[in-house]
Amino acid sequence: MLSATDLSFTYGRRRSGREAGGPAVADATLHVAQGSRVGILGPNGSGKTTLLKLLAGVLRPDEGSVTLEGRDLRTFSRAGLARRMAMVPQDTHPAFEYTVLEIVLMGRYAHLGPFEMERPGDLRVARECLEATGTSALQHRPFHTLSGGEKQRVVIASALAQATDLLLLDEPSSSLDLRYQLEIADLLLRLSRGRSSTLVLSTHDLNFAATVCDALVLIRDGRLVAAGSPREVLTPAHIRTLYGVEADVQEHPRHGGLVVVPVRPDGEGGPGGDRPWAR
Amino acid sequence: MGALNHAEPMAVPVPPIRRRVAGALLGFGSLAVVSILAAPLAGSTPVDFVRAWDPSIPFHRNVDAQIFFIARLPRVLAAALVGSALAAAGVVFQALLRNPLATPFTLGVSAGAALGAMLAITAGVSFGIGPLGSVPLASFAGSLAAVGIVYALATARHRGFSTNVMLLAGVTLNSFFSAIILFLQYLADMTQTMRTVRWLMGDLDVASYGPLLAAAPLVAVALGAFAWLARALNLLALGPEQAEARGVDSLRAQRVAFISASLATGAAVSVGGPVGFIGIVVPHLVRLIVGADHRILLPAASLFGASFLIGCDLVSRTVMAPLELPVGIVTAMIGGPFFLWLLISRGGGSAR
Amino acid sequence: MKSVCRGPGLPLGACCFAWALLGLAAAITAAGAQPAPARRVVSLVPAVTEMLFAIGAGPQVVGVSSYDREPADVERLPRVGALLDPDLERIFTLAPDLVVVYGSQDELRQQLDRAGVPAFLYRHGGLAGIFDTIVRLGGRTGRTVEAAAVIRQVQADLDDVRRRVSARAPARVLLVFGRDPDSLRNVYASGGVGFLHDVLVLAGGTNVLADVGREGLQISAEQILARRPDVILELRAEGGPDGADALRAWRTLTAVPAVKSGRVHALVGSDLVVPGPRIARAAERIARVLHPEAW
Repeated sequence: MLSATDLSFTYGRRRSGREAGGPAVADATLHVAQGSRVGILGPNGSGKTTLLKLLAGVLRPDEGSVTLEGRDLRTFSRAGLARRMAMVPQDTHPAFEYTVLEIVLMGRYAHLGPFEMERPGDLRVARECLEATGTSALQHRPFHTLSGGEKQRVVIASALAQATDLLLLDEPSSSLDLRYQLEIADLLLRLSRGRSSTLVLSTHDLNFAATVCDALVLIRDGRLVAAGSPREVLTPAHIRTLYGVEADVQEHPRHGGLVVVPVRPDGEGGPGGDRPWAR
Repeated sequence: MGALNHAEPMAVPVPPIRRRVAGALLGFGSLAVVSILAAPLAGSTPVDFVRAWDPSIPFHRNVDAQIFFIARLPRVLAAALVGSALAAAGVVFQALLRNPLATPFTLGVSAGAALGAMLAITAGVSFGIGPLGSVPLASFAGSLAAVGIVYALATARHRGFSTNVMLLAGVTLNSFFSAIILFLQYLADMTQTMRTVRWLMGDLDVASYGPLLAAAPLVAVALGAFAWLARALNLLALGPEQAEARGVDSLRAQRVAFISASLATGAAVSVGGPVGFIGIVVPHLVRLIVGADHRILLPAASLFGASFLIGCDLVSRTVMAPLELPVGIVTAMIGGPFFLWLLISRGGGSAR
Repeated sequence: MKSVCRGPGLPLGACCFAWALLGLAAAITAAGAQPAPARRVVSLVPAVTEMLFAIGAGPQVVGVSSYDREPADVERLPRVGALLDPDLERIFTLAPDLVVVYGSQDELRQQLDRAGVPAFLYRHGGLAGIFDTIVRLGGRTGRTVEAAAVIRQVQADLDDVRRRVSARAPARVLLVFGRDPDSLRNVYASGGVGFLHDVLVLAGGTNVLADVGREGLQISAEQILARRPDVILELRAEGGPDGADALRAWRTLTAVPAVKSGRVHALVGSDLVVPGPRIARAAERIARVLHPEAW
């Protein structure tokens, strides 16, 4: 459904082609199948957010191309793209006080004409999205009064309101505590199964990726180093390459999913000090 | 939708958008209409309205008619025009800069206008065209120059439109032009300096319809652009990237917003000078009443801005008669304390 | 720049005021340690410069302000700045023994005081203030006789004007000091106080804004219509459009008696804005416009 070929991108690139720093993403090629849940996994600064933005068409690649349903992204109009692909950013800070419902309704922008106002159908879609994310009770509250987890769910609802088959999420669990991480993971799985949505998410949380995704792409210093199913990709060797950490990958006795447990940072020999979490 | 729960649709206490827009237009519109009709009836000079409207008395001999139609009515209409333009431009600039403290004058428009006006005043020669006097013409030219510089700087980057650069350019231009104005004031003689300072305080006594007819089309075009932009401005509040992700052409929206809001501001300033506080007090006040949805906020702020300035002008021409209290002082004296109160009670009133 | 003189019976009041000031000046002169007549005078006030030359103290003037134009002799004199920017260095270079300063130039006075240079305080006032200043100047420059002569001459000229118009009904005048060149925006007019107002009254006019009590104020179109002046007089130092062109802007207010009867006039000249020895000429010019049949 969504494909990237030889993507390269550098921040601060001037017209002259002079590069300000190294490339944020280099020679990235990947393919997202319809209905799949793809995770872009990498440490901080590895370029995963950049890659996600390139896939979303928010950033234009310096080299390479991104195609959606066989067409280059650049051939789509802004609204056309928004009807096919929705993106959930890591943080949302509206400059003014909007209610939850107003923010969710913003997702309907691409479905309305220049001077059109929301019709009952749009309101219905918005309410359904609120229900899907469990935020119906919050719809008239000002957005900035919500907790981090609630905000994230509302933004997801807003993206859902775009009624797209493809949903991209940038670090959906990063700013959330354990409970909300589980809720979001649960929500994403439900969306994938219930709506047949295709998900692409970027994260540095190995366990989150293991739980939610059925395909993983590992990225380090802007380059993709591995791709495949979680079982294929989440190996101690790869984790060592990516994070420089010695870790165990286990199958959880209760839910059967993969769990990654860090043992110690790579390079430190022998048991040095008490590490309760490693027991 | 499979496993998802189809509960009863919740009753929505907030009326749908159409009704809210209509309600705002009706409410604020009535206030504006009443202001426009009532204000010319009030003033420091007693006017015999029966005589004023008496068609049998030739106009050139009818003092009451001249007071009403030449002295007061153009003034009230000017207040309506300037008030609506500045209030709406204030809303748009706040949305563009994603900052509730932005005003129509933040980006250098009024500094350019002031410089133009000052040059016209000190030049002493008349280069007016028809109904347009030299000072309004020069002030509009000055604001165009300032806008042009800021726009060129903001769009010079490789990618699109940088609000940061725009803000820096505008603030710098304000300081730079203000310095030039002070320098010119220093060189000019006392009368010219006094007149420039007076111009800076705002004056709506146009005494003719010419300047209004010249400025009205510009303001109308700008307000039309605002109507087109309203929804996009809502989404821009989330940030240009997020707005793009939802289908907004952020680049085009920002450009149109900047140009149309500057046009409205330049036209308003050319009519009545840089009347302060309307561009920040009215957007805030109206946002407290109707919410942040620009489709309601823009028409409401525009209409309320008209009423507000009509009221301030009424105060300015009656409270110290026959002396005029410059209208910019009245708006500041009302706007200043109100704004302080707003900051204290709501911590800025923004989401951040 | 406020004038103390105000109210009806102006000539009498002016005389009383002038005599009071003369008495005060005499007292100060007697009480204070008055130095010898000033030989090197620097004048920051153009009106005072004119007075100095008129009383024959021209040769004693060594420096003038940036705005001095009259008499022609000042062209060759060095300039030392003006109200806002007096150049202290230049002033001291000229080694003055008297510096004429504005009453509001406190800082300059302090600096002169510290340097031991006497200052002559100019206070802007009504018509009487002009005579008072001339008298004081005469005393300080050792030209008391010439000063008295100048005053007599000017008063004689003024009396002549007053006599000619005394029999006629005073004209109701709006005295305009300035406005935007091509419209009626920013009209500045006399508010019943100041030397030009006094001259207007002397020349056979009444100020339609006399009740306001300010030297100058901005007046709105409504006020112009409400006050119904019979004559509109624009006074200007120099430049600007003149003749029919200049007064076209007034034609929008046709209900104003002055506009209806075509009695809108513009007078140009520095004698109209300088409260100095040429004030009688200004009075005559104004009177000729208000009551042409008296000549």
